Amino acid sequence: MIAALLSAAVLLQQIDTLRPSTLPRSIAIDERLAADRRIKLGDLLVVSPTPGGPGDTVTVSAFVRRRADPSEVARAEYRVRLHLHQLQSLIGYGDRVDRFAIATPSAAATDSAMRGINAPAFGFRAYRSRDIAVETSRTFLVVSRFHRAIGVITIVASAIFLLCIMLLKVDERRRDVAALRLMGISARSIVRSVMVEAALVAVIGSGVGVFIGWSAARIINWHYRGVYRTPLAFASVTPNIIVLAVSLSLVLGLIAGFVAAQRLVRVPALELLTGRHEDRAAAA
Amino acid sequence: MLFRLAWATLSRHRSRTLLAVLGVAVSAAMLLDMVMLSSGMRVSFKNLLLARGFQIRLAPKGTLPFDTDATIVRSSEITAALASIPDIATISPVLGGQIHVAARNGAVVSAIALGGDAAAQGDYEIIEGRAPTGANEIAASDDFLRAAVARVGDTLSAAAGYDPQLRSFAGSRPLIVVGRAKFIYTSAGQRAVALPLTTLQSMQGSAAADRVSFYMLRIRDDGRVDDVLHRIEREIPRVSGVSTQTAMAQVDERLSYFRQLALILGAVSLAVGFLLVTTLVTVSVNERLGEIVVLRAIGVARGRIVQQIVLEGTAIMFVGAIVGLVLGLGTARYLNSILSSFPGLPAAIDFFLFQPSDAWTALGMLVGAGILAGIYPSWRGASRPIAITLREEAVG
Amino acid sequence: MSGDIVVSARDLHRDYRMGGDDVHAVRGVSLDVERGDYVAIVGPSGCGKSTLLNLLGGIDRPNSGTVTIDGARIDRMRDNEATRFRLLKIGFVFQRFYLMPALTALENIELPMADAKISGSQRVQRARELLAYVSLDARRDHRPSQLSGGEQQRVAIARALANKPTLLLADEPTGELDAKTGAEMIDLIGRVNDDGTTIIVVTHDEDLARAASRVVHMRDGLIVDDRRQDAR
Repeated sequence: MIAALLSAAVLLQQIDTLRPSTLPRSIAIDERLAADRRIKLGDLLVVSPTPGGPGDTVTVSAFVRRRADPSEVARAEYRVRLHLHQLQSLIGYGDRVDRFAIATPSAAATDSAMRGINAPAFGFRAYRSRDIAVETSRTFLVVSRFHRAIGVITIVASAIFLLCIMLLKVDERRRDVAALRLMGISARSIVRSVMVEAALVAVIGSGVGVFIGWSAARIINWHYRGVYRTPLAFASVTPNIIVLAVSLSLVLGLIAGFVAAQRLVRVPALELLTGRHEDRAAAA
Repeated sequence: MLFRLAWATLSRHRSRTLLAVLGVAVSAAMLLDMVMLSSGMRVSFKNLLLARGFQIRLAPKGTLPFDTDATIVRSSEITAALASIPDIATISPVLGGQIHVAARNGAVVSAIALGGDAAAQGDYEIIEGRAPTGANEIAASDDFLRAAVARVGDTLSAAAGYDPQLRSFAGSRPLIVVGRAKFIYTSAGQRAVALPLTTLQSMQGSAAADRVSFYMLRIRDDGRVDDVLHRIEREIPRVSGVSTQTAMAQVDERLSYFRQLALILGAVSLAVGFLLVTTLVTVSVNERLGEIVVLRAIGVARGRIVQQIVLEGTAIMFVGAIVGLVLGLGTARYLNSILSSFPGLPAAIDFFLFQPSDAWTALGMLVGAGILAGIYPSWRGASRPIAITLREEAVG
Repeated sequence: MSGDIVVSARDLHRDYRMGGDDVHAVRGVSLDVERGDYVAIVGPSGCGKSTLLNLLGGIDRPNSGTVTIDGARIDRMRDNEATRFRLLKIGFVFQRFYLMPALTALENIELPMADAKISGSQRVQRARELLAYVSLDARRDHRPSQLSGGEQQRVAIARALANKPTLLLADEPTGELDAKTGAEMIDLIGRVNDDGTTIIVVTHDEDLARAASRVVHMRDGLIVDDRRQDAR
């Protein structure tokens, strides 16, 4: 039976021989420790509270993978799981623990359990796991805020970029637009056609962008999972994110197309064609 | 004439030029921020570590200072061993813990406590009053004094242990606030007090006797830091030593995500700026192919034409870069304020630290990109066959 | 005219591929032009006259044959050599003017002089002289969009004369002008020739052809007639 993990500095020594009179108890070690020190299942180790000091001989019975917890991702220390009594005895903790984790069948049961525990509690207190998680997730929240800020800056840059490109594209075809207007095609039709083009570019562009984002997320996860040796997902492209990205780029594209087209249709057709600006006020 | 023509061409399409400059400015701002981010943490952390001149930190074997609750036992032996090394100029032992104080308003205020030698400490700077040298003296941070509703000169009843259920204190004694201090390594809003090492050890009871959390060492000669570190690890195997360089390398590794992010976002910003200018130059060249080949027809050399067009693109990049540098400083402050609230990180760490070399680097990259962005489209445009292009332009 | 040959073309051929078809634009044309001459090349559309002008000016290369301008084999020159040669020796005037829209009239004339490394003050002085020569001194600070077609073409002629070229080549210089403005242009070109510049124009305009001292007729890429006519 593996007890809850207690925070303590225990040190491990690998040994090759078994003390004849003691059957070693089992421990579970961090899979990263096993990989780094080439420890296999069944290996005998000595766990002691001080470096090089006396301790207990144990056998490795399991490897443990650390959780996908963002608050732990930057922590490099190894974790080891021992039987509770063994650890208490090893570090001289006596009949003490740091905390209990309690599972309840329902939210109502959680409430009543908390009431029941806290009322007579003597030197300890019960908290909802959710409330603890909020505290320990502060790192993650800071990183999220940072990413969001970068995201906003990127969106602003993209909007300007898009407007500039649409302006260029529309400018390139001013003679064609002038010819259409002189033929009798209305300004509204021209604006509509430019906006449709802008929308198409936006949709196709976002499709390509989603694919790039999805591929980049996979590369990011593969890389950082390797660096931090964690199962945590660092980036994920969810359906909501896809919908947001496509909608946003569509809206920005339409706005950019509208602004660019409006600029063009406001100029008299003949001026668009000849490039000559007539100062009607001066002529009058 | 080259500048005149480039300027005239850019001002002919004001909205387009302005938008392109704005686009480049935002890219430049992002690029500057990322250049600052890539080196800022490192420089800031190094400045922090060396703020008081201590080049080596010793912690319990296998740990980093304050990374765990582990302590170094029989610290007096270690202090004596360190004192025998002539290269070590100053030894600063530090014990970490918690103290709890009953504030005037009835609240119980908890703070991290740093026990050390006031004459040889490297954790705080006194801003009012003096350092705590007497057995019953403390210096406190502003956050602590505010929470405890206390000021310099007040006596507080402080305890090393507190049971919130029983509302009882353990290891309590009266402590006089003799100074206000700025704690170098605490995070923003963190309450902290400093007191003599022996006082904190005594408050924590027999479990803390002759124990410290870590040592800070000042070495006489910077060039001898590694040698001293190796000697210590050989002679005192129950401690792990960390030089400033090693500490920086470890922080680099833990915060490598931000450096990599900086590299990726910086590259993307540069690419976006490059794309914008390339597109602008390409469209601009396509629009005036007739003018370009006529310049060649009347005898203007191809290289001069390319120079003039590249100058247009570079001018946009340059002006955009200047605007972007100013914008970037503003966004860096904002982004820094977000990251400064990283839990557990010293408030004195800046993620975005401005160094003039960063601005030059960003400017250089942008101008270089501007030149490259203009070269291909302008060379293509200036290399078109004159007669055929004139015919096409006439038909078009 | 001096009798001194300034332009000599021998057996020029120029072929194009256009829309899948092979076009033999110039098919063995030989032509000599004396210094100070005023030659009009005329013919129906597609006869190869503009192509011949481009070959003579070095802005196109013949498939075979030679072109010698003022003793230099322009058909053999590398691109940058030919460009430099055109800058200093040949002036071009085009049907569609092709002024730099972003520059003023004065600056447009300064442009070729800048590349010829003439100092700023000298450039401005000469440009003003040329503007006065074409009677546009009052419009020197106007951009092309603020000038009429005739005014633009006069600026184009002034630009072509900036570096005092040996030869002036004009491709349909009156093509986009009305009759009255066209007549003014013909007078101006005549004046340029009177002042010593050798001129070759390509034109459909009969009045312009009549103003020349020699008319060369082309058809299907060949010269079919070449005769002097009475002086103007």
